[in-house]
Amino acid sequence: MTLVPDRQEQLRLVGWLRWRLFVNSLRTGRGKAELVSKVILNIGIVVVVLVLGPLLGVGSWYAISHGKSLILSGEIWFVFLVWLLLPLLITGFGAESDPASLLRFPLRYSTFVLLAFAHGFFDPVAVAALYWLLAMLAGMAVASPSVLLWAIPGLAALALVSLLLNRAIFAWLSRWLAQRRTREILGAVFILFMLSFQLTGPLAGRYGKHALPLATRLASAGRLLPPGMAATAITAGRAGHAGSAGAEFAGLLAYCAVLGWLLSLRLRAEYRGENLSEARRETSSGPSTVRAGWNVAGLSPTVAALLEKDLRYLIRNSTAYFTLLAPVLVIVVLGLGHGGAHARQSGFLRSSSVFFPLSVGYVMLILIGLAYNNLGLDGPGLPMLFAAPIRFRDVLVAKNLLHTMVVLAQVLAVSALGWFVVGPAPPLVVAVTLSGALMVLLTNLTVGNLVSLYFPRKLNFGQMRRQQGSGLAVAVSMGTQALLGGLIASMYFLSRWAGHLAWCGVAFLMLAGAAWVAYHHVLDLASGIAWKRREALMTELSRPG
Amino acid sequence: MTDLAVETDGLCRRFGKLEAVRSVHLRVEAGQFFGFLGPNGAGKSTTINMLTGLLEPTAGRIRILGLDLGSNPVDVKSQIGVVPEGLALFDRLTGPEYLLFAGRMYGLDRVTAAERARELLDFMGLADRAKSLIVDYSHGMKKKLAMAAAVIHGPKVLFLDEPFEGVDAIAAGTLKAMLNRMIARGATIFLTSHVLEIVERLCSHVAIIRRGELVAQGSIDELRSGVSARRDDGQKISLEQIFLEIVGGERTAVPELSWLE
Repeated sequence: MTLVPDRQEQLRLVGWLRWRLFVNSLRTGRGKAELVSKVILNIGIVVVVLVLGPLLGVGSWYAISHGKSLILSGEIWFVFLVWLLLPLLITGFGAESDPASLLRFPLRYSTFVLLAFAHGFFDPVAVAALYWLLAMLAGMAVASPSVLLWAIPGLAALALVSLLLNRAIFAWLSRWLAQRRTREILGAVFILFMLSFQLTGPLAGRYGKHALPLATRLASAGRLLPPGMAATAITAGRAGHAGSAGAEFAGLLAYCAVLGWLLSLRLRAEYRGENLSEARRETSSGPSTVRAGWNVAGLSPTVAALLEKDLRYLIRNSTAYFTLLAPVLVIVVLGLGHGGAHARQSGFLRSSSVFFPLSVGYVMLILIGLAYNNLGLDGPGLPMLFAAPIRFRDVLVAKNLLHTMVVLAQVLAVSALGWFVVGPAPPLVVAVTLSGALMVLLTNLTVGNLVSLYFPRKLNFGQMRRQQGSGLAVAVSMGTQALLGGLIASMYFLSRWAGHLAWCGVAFLMLAGAAWVAYHHVLDLASGIAWKRREALMTELSRPG
Repeated sequence: MTDLAVETDGLCRRFGKLEAVRSVHLRVEAGQFFGFLGPNGAGKSTTINMLTGLLEPTAGRIRILGLDLGSNPVDVKSQIGVVPEGLALFDRLTGPEYLLFAGRMYGLDRVTAAERARELLDFMGLADRAKSLIVDYSHGMKKKLAMAAAVIHGPKVLFLDEPFEGVDAIAAGTLKAMLNRMIARGATIFLTSHVLEIVERLCSHVAIIRRGELVAQGSIDELRSGVSARRDDGQKISLEQIFLEIVGGERTAVPELSWLE
């Protein structure tokens, strides 16, 4: 009988595994290019994180040396909220390896727990938050070294609370997202939450004065939450109220205990090997209902069948609803913020000449990213498309048609909404905006088709987490949007300067024409590219896991 | 001259330094039930993927029903059906939706595709799960659906990669009934399988690949007589014995595992 390696050895092995996975991912040119593109894309974020550290340190120094507890409290709340909310907001893009995948091995429970914590600590947001907390400690130490007596345990306990809370939220989210029914409920709750969040501004604007007493009471209740407790523990300790500081510290430890218990419920269930696969839904027996598929005028039967398949996939992908609904929801919120018909008189966003182009631009910006990985959900079925006697250009045409339909529906929706909220936009503005949107759509479909064939990334149906697109695809998409944005802005300002806005529309239409030619050229090439790259495409998109 | 359904000359496939398939010359006559055998990693799936256009050969020529696959991929694919290793199902469709989709991909009109889908669902015993998504199907049901999709257009050659792997006896019976009907109407079937009893019962001809090289090809009786000539015991030899003789001959003496003794 073999001896199960001790915890240290197991952790070392898992570390080695992660490292080898990373090193092996760099074996191919594409893997190296992915790494470089991620580094480039994240440089800006790293700079912001690094700059914020000294700023927070100076803030803490000032707060302690001048007795401004509100500043210290604000900084602690900032770090806590970033640590808590940012991973949730970027969940759709975050990649996280799953410790549960190691449970086939004789993994000790303690190792499993430590791995779950390691994932939390090595999360980029957690690293940034810890760096900020250290910077704040340094600032406080400069102001008054004695404050460290309470600041170190206080902030350490806060870090532990944040980590446990973050892990507990993700553990429970994963649990709920693993099954279709709970996933749909959670998706609906998430959409309602985001909508409510967006409504805060407009509601505060309208009812702010009446709500002020309530808001004040709520703010004071914040002292009972972990960031408030950490801040109070430090300021009370600094003022020599050891009892009060100790009570706040004990409160933080109580939070740790409760959150640790909630997290342990999930971790123990995972460790025991719970099955979170989709529950099989038994359907009532009876005669099969097979209806003939779609027949769409103007489309070949192949494209019609592909379009039907893609639309069914879209309808059944509940997690895609948020992306699809987000633009309309945001426009609704913007509209509510302007008080409907009362807002027609003045104001920047209250002008239909601004509201309409901005709404359409926002729709394009949110939806256009879908064009850059349009084979992502076809994974398991992709070999069938290569085995069938079809041209691959038809596959892309169907996907582009569906994409265009979605964009068109949303543009119509926000146009109708704009009409209702701020009145109809002038015809010239509508024409210029739509010609610009046409140019943007065609350019992105053209580039997106090529990127989808060269840098595909498998997407798991109905999952929010581990849905990271290819870094190269994101880089190309961002570059394309920057180029188009610059082009649109320069043409707009040039035509405004010349006093002929129509020129801008004509230029957009000409560029859209050029994009149309390029689109067709890429489609003509697409079948050949897909045929040549079929092995790479199937390896990337159809592999299990 | 006999019509050849599948013909390869000098078929090779390299993956970096690994030569997965080496100069394979296959001959499968039209109407044959052909079994393609080999140990794990011998190159069976690589070969079948090349024969169906899912993988590009490094060298060599493939002719299906007399058509060169490299220069006429669409014409070839319209006449063949494939059940690849991973089944290639769009698992967020229902069974009927997938069959309709497959039928139309192979050029059937909507009404014909719907009629055939209905018949196939009944034949495969999947009609009562018509409203379920494929992702909710059992493994055997998925295999039956993949088979139904592969035959919906009435292919002349059917390629099946491990059609009986992970399938229970009832589902296997349905699949065998389907394959026998295909053979009865003159189709050619090319399958890989590890279940040698099934291959022996169904196939008239086999080829055996080992480490990327074709080491035997012919009718089962021809292979049997070849092996019998090397043996003197006069007993009827099973396909498994033929297989082990040709493929595993050098490893009949299983080495010991010291820690298991």
